[in-house]
Amino acid sequence: MTKKFIDFLKPPEHWRVPVLLAAGVFIGLGVYVLYVSRAHSYLSDDPKTCVNCHIMAPQYATWSHSAHREVATCNDCHVPHDNVFNTYYFKAKDGMRHASVFTMRAEPQVIFIKEEGQHVVQQNCVRCHEQLITDDKLLAHKPDVHQNISDRFCWECHRETPHGRVNSLSSVPHARVPVPESPLPDWLKDLNKK
Amino acid sequence: MKPIREQIKEKPWLGWAIFLLTIVVVFLLGLLASSVMERRAEAVFAYTPKVEHSPTEPRNEVWGQNFPKEYQSYMKTKDTTFASKYNGGAMIDMLEVDPRLVVLWAGYGFAKDYNQGRGHSYAVEDIHKTLRTGGPTEDRQSPMPNTCWTCKSPDVPRLMAEMGPAEFYKGKWDEKGHEVMNSIGCADCHDSETMNLKITRPALVEAFERMGKDINEASHQEMRSLVCAQCHVEYYFNKKTHPGSPYLTFPWDKGMSAEAMEEYYDEIEFSDWTHKLSRAPMLKAQHPGYEVYLTGVHAKRGVSCADCHMPYKSEGGTKFTDHHIQSPLNNVANSCQVCHREETASLVEDVYERQDRIIENRDKLEELIVRMHVEAKTAWDLGATEEQMKDILMDIRHAQWRWDYAAASHGGSFHSPVETGRVISTGITVAQEGRIKLARLLADLGHNKEVPYPDITTKAKAQEFIGLPVDKLKAEKKEFLETLLPKWKEEAKKREAGYATSMK
Repeated sequence: MTKKFIDFLKPPEHWRVPVLLAAGVFIGLGVYVLYVSRAHSYLSDDPKTCVNCHIMAPQYATWSHSAHREVATCNDCHVPHDNVFNTYYFKAKDGMRHASVFTMRAEPQVIFIKEEGQHVVQQNCVRCHEQLITDDKLLAHKPDVHQNISDRFCWECHRETPHGRVNSLSSVPHARVPVPESPLPDWLKDLNKK
Repeated sequence: MKPIREQIKEKPWLGWAIFLLTIVVVFLLGLLASSVMERRAEAVFAYTPKVEHSPTEPRNEVWGQNFPKEYQSYMKTKDTTFASKYNGGAMIDMLEVDPRLVVLWAGYGFAKDYNQGRGHSYAVEDIHKTLRTGGPTEDRQSPMPNTCWTCKSPDVPRLMAEMGPAEFYKGKWDEKGHEVMNSIGCADCHDSETMNLKITRPALVEAFERMGKDINEASHQEMRSLVCAQCHVEYYFNKKTHPGSPYLTFPWDKGMSAEAMEEYYDEIEFSDWTHKLSRAPMLKAQHPGYEVYLTGVHAKRGVSCADCHMPYKSEGGTKFTDHHIQSPLNNVANSCQVCHREETASLVEDVYERQDRIIENRDKLEELIVRMHVEAKTAWDLGATEEQMKDILMDIRHAQWRWDYAAASHGGSFHSPVETGRVISTGITVAQEGRIKLARLLADLGHNKEVPYPDITTKAKAQEFIGLPVDKLKAEKKEFLETLLPKWKEEAKKREAGYATSMK
């Protein structure tokens, strides 16, 4: 089957060299795009990945000043963790949407979470804080506690957790955020200096 | 299906089509690559400062180009409209408000002129204008040393970097007048590279070292008070450690309480001046604001100076530190109410209540000390001996030191009302003990009746009582402001024009 396909693609004898060159250019450019967009980093859970696009800097800065910094990464809250396929499906889908919006320069001045994302975050609040909200001892103080928390999102009350209330692309102009620096490797920079 | 090479043999246009399609795809891929690069470059540019300047750049307006929000809020320290019950942003002639001060400081600069300070951006202008710095001209020197510039300007770290602190402190105040022109600002508290808070005045670092602490280990929250503690503390000019240089030193070696510092000063037999009436070896408390704050409940709960005096604010969706350093009473919403959910009026009332109660006893102590000075003078006039006066003079020294520790700490009656009240009450005890000794001595000398309280109901009367030539001082100051000061400004302008970073 594969052999058949390659046979199908094989260029005429006298075209072989130009086709090899063209294919090289094509693949090389493809690899360069992967490198310069730091595509490899998207496989990790490192929050630095999320500021590959600098417009996420306020979200990174506010998180890195919050208590959640110690226990939760971006993916812990913003990607579902019910099963591994859904995790990667959602991450890929959300990531592609973000990448497209960023590439098209279509980002709004104030970024709001979409409804689908809200449900994911809510599930993840519950995932970690389950003990806290299902403890029936709470009923002794507040008989209606379960009704009160089951029909709303956690952050309707915990409004500053963890990103604060001020939200815009320019909300933290001087925050130190590990946005990607020049993609040139150091040895090349040193060479240029000489 | 036939292999593509055979199809191309039959239909040559197919080869061309594949070729063109590849061109289009590679072209689009190239566009994507350059878009990714552009947006990555934005990240670099978004965080690039507008101007590059040297680490010791003294001009606030140059730093302000990189940090416009912080700079513009700092400029509001020029606003003098706010007045609280006792203080505020306006200049208040404290000698007029409380003429007893003139007698307490007889023989010392503060009897000439003492004002409630204005905002940081007036620091240099106000030190030019105060009578305390005298009226230097080409051939008349200021009575004050260069050390007095230390807390006034970001030109100071620049000069200290050039010549070292001991050399900087040397000489009279007028010798470096042309060098110090920018008011307290950016470079006093910030590192130019990282914008981290930074201690730029050596006295604080050295005081920490002598206490066996390393100031570099301070947390960010502690730094939000320590940068203030570079200046808003008790200090003195030590003339022994660096010969010929009145070296700025904090007397914290034994502790920061009024008693600990008093013991420190007694042990080294330091006095700021000899009182003109009582001849007591006096101490002048500068402004132990930080020391008193540390004893209060806000400090205990980890609240820093900046939390109340420079609270966070947001403007146009940007959160930043309000650099309008001022009384929190003028900004209760962003300071007190962040933690205290009470009405503004009620919170302000809480502050005034503490101030009222503290000042009640402070005034009483002040009156007792005025009496001590006058009574001691009477004793001298009646022929008292040094030996007879020795203990009494120490009581005067200690009573006034404790009064001053409370009075000069400004805000102390709110920062730490209990400690401030305690210090004043110990002052009253010391003063009364001293006055009993004085009464006995006066009786021994044949004066067994009250020494009349002087008529010092106004500043002018009080200054006349201590024999201060105010008109002469004012005339000299006027001459300085009209002749020498313009020259200083001219020189400073010339120097700054030569800096590598110019103002756009």
